[in-house]
Amino acid sequence: MKDNILEVKRLKIAFRTQAGTLKAVRDISFDLQRGRTLAIVGESGSGKSVTSRAVMGILAGNSIVEGGEIFYDGKDLLRIAEEDMQKIRGDKISMIFQDPLSSLNPIVKIGKQITEAMLLKSKTGRRESARAYKKLLALLRKTAHEANAAQPERIDSLFDTFAAFCTEGTKLEDAYNNASVHAQELAAMIDDFLFKAEKKQNLDVRQTLRDYASRLRRTKDPLLTADCDSDLNALEAELDKAASGAGKATAEKLVPGEIIALLRRTRALLETINTKPRPDFMAIGYARTKHPGETLTPAQAAQALDGEFMSEFLPLLDKAVQFSMGRSISAKKALLPRLREAQKWYASDFARKEGLSRAKSLTKEVESSIDRLEVVKDSAAYAFGSSLTGAIERYFSCKERNPREEARFARQNARRERLIARGRNVTWKVVPANVYDLDDLRGNIITVVERLADRYEADVENAANEDIRARTNALVNALRADSSQMVARLTKRMARERAIKLMEEVGIHEPRQRFYQYPFEFSGGMRQRIVIAIALAADPDILICDEPTTALDVTIQAQILELINRLKAERNFSVIFITHDLGVVANMADDIAVMYAGKIVEYGTADDIFYDPRHPYTWALLSSMPDLDTKEKLEAIPGTPPNMIYPPKGDAFADRNRYAMQIDFEQQPPMFRVSETHTAATWLLHPDAPKVEVPKVITDRIARMRAKEANQEGGAAHAE
Amino acid sequence: MPNNTNETLLRVEHLCQFFGPVKAVNDVSFDIKRGEVFGLVGESGCGKTTTGRSIIRIYNITSGSIYFKGQRICAGTLSYENAIREARKALRAATSPEEKERLRKTIEENRAAIRSAKHDHKHSDEDYAKGLVAHLEKERDEALAKAGADAVAIRKEYAEKIRIAKKTRLITNIQMIFQDPVASLNPRMTVREIIAEGLIIQGVRDQKYIDEKVYEILELVGLTRDHAGRYPHEFSGGQKQRIGIARSVIMQPDMLIADEPVSALDVSIQAQVINLLGDLRDRLGLTILFIAHDLSVVKYFSDRIGVMYYGEMVELATSDELFAHPLHPYTRSLLSSIPLPDPRTEKKRTRITYNRLAEHDYSVDKPSLREVAPGHFVQCNDAEFARYQAKLKEQA
Repeated sequence: MKDNILEVKRLKIAFRTQAGTLKAVRDISFDLQRGRTLAIVGESGSGKSVTSRAVMGILAGNSIVEGGEIFYDGKDLLRIAEEDMQKIRGDKISMIFQDPLSSLNPIVKIGKQITEAMLLKSKTGRRESARAYKKLLALLRKTAHEANAAQPERIDSLFDTFAAFCTEGTKLEDAYNNASVHAQELAAMIDDFLFKAEKKQNLDVRQTLRDYASRLRRTKDPLLTADCDSDLNALEAELDKAASGAGKATAEKLVPGEIIALLRRTRALLETINTKPRPDFMAIGYARTKHPGETLTPAQAAQALDGEFMSEFLPLLDKAVQFSMGRSISAKKALLPRLREAQKWYASDFARKEGLSRAKSLTKEVESSIDRLEVVKDSAAYAFGSSLTGAIERYFSCKERNPREEARFARQNARRERLIARGRNVTWKVVPANVYDLDDLRGNIITVVERLADRYEADVENAANEDIRARTNALVNALRADSSQMVARLTKRMARERAIKLMEEVGIHEPRQRFYQYPFEFSGGMRQRIVIAIALAADPDILICDEPTTALDVTIQAQILELINRLKAERNFSVIFITHDLGVVANMADDIAVMYAGKIVEYGTADDIFYDPRHPYTWALLSSMPDLDTKEKLEAIPGTPPNMIYPPKGDAFADRNRYAMQIDFEQQPPMFRVSETHTAATWLLHPDAPKVEVPKVITDRIARMRAKEANQEGGAAHAE
Repeated sequence: MPNNTNETLLRVEHLCQFFGPVKAVNDVSFDIKRGEVFGLVGESGCGKTTTGRSIIRIYNITSGSIYFKGQRICAGTLSYENAIREARKALRAATSPEEKERLRKTIEENRAAIRSAKHDHKHSDEDYAKGLVAHLEKERDEALAKAGADAVAIRKEYAEKIRIAKKTRLITNIQMIFQDPVASLNPRMTVREIIAEGLIIQGVRDQKYIDEKVYEILELVGLTRDHAGRYPHEFSGGQKQRIGIARSVIMQPDMLIADEPVSALDVSIQAQVINLLGDLRDRLGLTILFIAHDLSVVKYFSDRIGVMYYGEMVELATSDELFAHPLHPYTRSLLSSIPLPDPRTEKKRTRITYNRLAEHDYSVDKPSLREVAPGHFVQCNDAEFARYQAKLKEQA
């Protein structure tokens, strides 16, 4: 539960239009866990794209966020400044759009568009991780001092040692990175040369070989190439020798075969260098500072670090973490009654000024109660201040605006009726009054406080079961990642090589040539693939796919879905996948949210939705698509989705629902819990509801699917 | 199934459509029987849309012939031109007089074929109209011979009929439904104007008749009379596609070419449109060429399916047979990538990749479309033919 990377809470979004306010998203909540895929399914106009755009912070100009929060990494994405959003958008959260035409820049070559995010990220990433590293280390040191006041000298000496060998490790890593950059660049250059030679282009062989020899010299690094230095030297000499004999190559005079073979060999050696696992620089740094003059193998170095230093350092950190958590828990405990009281107070009638000042003082206390040594940030606490003041401001501004809006409507309506009474031909319509539900808005304020209070209560209860050592390890890992990110390097040529690899992976042929083409030179399907490559290039935490493969044919679709799944497994990012193709959903999704008319009507794991659907809309969706065994007439959903300017009072699907009951037209169904992971909003799940049979098409299909699975398993067991 | 006769409605023979160096469609042949739904599948850019467009003469075809109701409606000349070129070359080298005579004759025959192809391609509609007019005149004369008093009324009635018959074209018996319902409707015309346009071009002047016809068709496709006065933007995507279908059905065609009719539509609407097409097919006895890339839909809707790859037909069979015993490696790769609404099998699915160069060795023995089993055609050469037949026997 703790590993939620993104939390959407009670999100409500509307659009101001000529005809009135269109309620696009009406109170939806979901959590996205790290490394999982959430599929959002529904018809167009059900609000699925709007939700994803809200996460990206790219809602249209006429949108109104009526309430709710989107928590990511200790921030509320709906309330942060545009500058902060820009750091997240495209870098941490990136999106594949439905329409490739409007998401590519027509006057920039596609290669540049793909590498842009990578290069930007590497530049800012270095600076930011240096800052984060320093900050975290200082905070740790401070907390450690507070936790055991008895031995300040020992703590200082341990921290100094740690900082020293980390710096040493970083230096080594920097040198290693430099050499590795040269190796990767040279590999890319040789690829280019071989490609050109194959295409019989003009080449200056002598110059190139000289250049390669000097570059090969620079790839030498004690940590990177220690075991193949002799091979490198031999190749370098060969290259130099070959260079002196070579001239220029043209279409008539091709590059000699032996030189091609030599380059192939060099390339192969570089490949082995480039695919080597990265050593543990922290351990090597430690070995260098503590055991100078000794040559330790990486395993020995790691052992030395663990045995000599970490055995002392980690318990110290444990104490600091424990102390910080204890302090935070006791603060939370003290704060709880205040929060509960505030919850009640905000439910009563209060003045704006008072409400805001109270929010301010509460925020201060909440902020002091946050455990800063937590690696996974508690977003609700971090964003408490902005959420609360935002909700209060919104409540009061709407309270002021409502009577004005009503008066305007009454005035214009009266004028219109006067004109009609006079017998004029009136063609214009009055824009309906845009009145907000004040109770609802006040509810938003209370939810903010209540949610935090609930969370604190849970924290206090679970405090005893926390795994301190896991937290400490997470902290050390964060430090390690930051220090290595500080010296990570990406040159344009490397970025280009990565982009070309990515282009190959998304199925673009001859990427080396296509890299320099403009978007108009690609067909629609190809453009869509480039958009996908761009989104994947930035290595995001969250990837939002808005119908990415709808325009592509099955073979490419399968290929791209495989690519997304593979990268997800490799890089452990999370995916929000929006589509209306249930086959694709079955392939991709871990969890599924079925949306209709701005609400989530059913939520569950993929198995829940496909093997045990409960909502009539899910039934309708499942039975309206033919599969390969469908023979009978399709069951189309009659009618069209409701007009969301006037959302229906009861269940929005009632009008098109064969199983609708009287209550469906009168009252919105709550989310009924079917199982631990599965919820559905339909009155059919109420204990008093009549028993309804699931449509035969679906039960048949489920039976078929189960039979098939049993068959396969039987077959597999048989084969074994 | 209505009209399930064995009459061949459309025959495509060696159709080639080249755009400069690009061979969009290369030597494709197939028949469509009256009353059947023929599905055409393949990845984007494989030439399936081009095939459909060539049939209704949106493009002038490069080579091959297309017969509709037994009459040639499209013809290309490239194959004859190539034959002439070959013969000329041989003529220069030829020595014996008999040989020369034979080659000269070949050239002459091909020249005649070109002339006839050009004539058919350009004037098939006129020929058809002439035939209709002749038929009507004969009917009129018979009626006149029988009737005495109301000869004037009969003359008037037939004059109108003949006037329309003169303008009738054979090609309007084939109608097309386009992929994107939004882009294919003129935003500045009302639904009535859009649907009636075909009739008006055909020369119908009777406004009352046109209105009646429009209302009838609107109700047929599941819309109401009130919709006739509205503009396309007032409709949802599914309704727009219904208007597109109404526009094509009003011409009382024998055949519909549906070019990805449901790809741009929402899930719940797709089923509505597929059901509508199915209904129309049953009620009007339509023959449909169904072009799509969603294989589950094609499987559900079609009687026979042709699989295209890079401008060539690689496999053709009834839909059950194709899905039960796919033979060509490309078909198998295509079928293996269909996403199915079943998470457990879907997560375990392995995709078969198809690499044309690695799969076949056509360096010596060139492939052609051959009948491996009755009604089941696969593009293959001799070695593959034997292999496929063995495989089918094994599966049976």
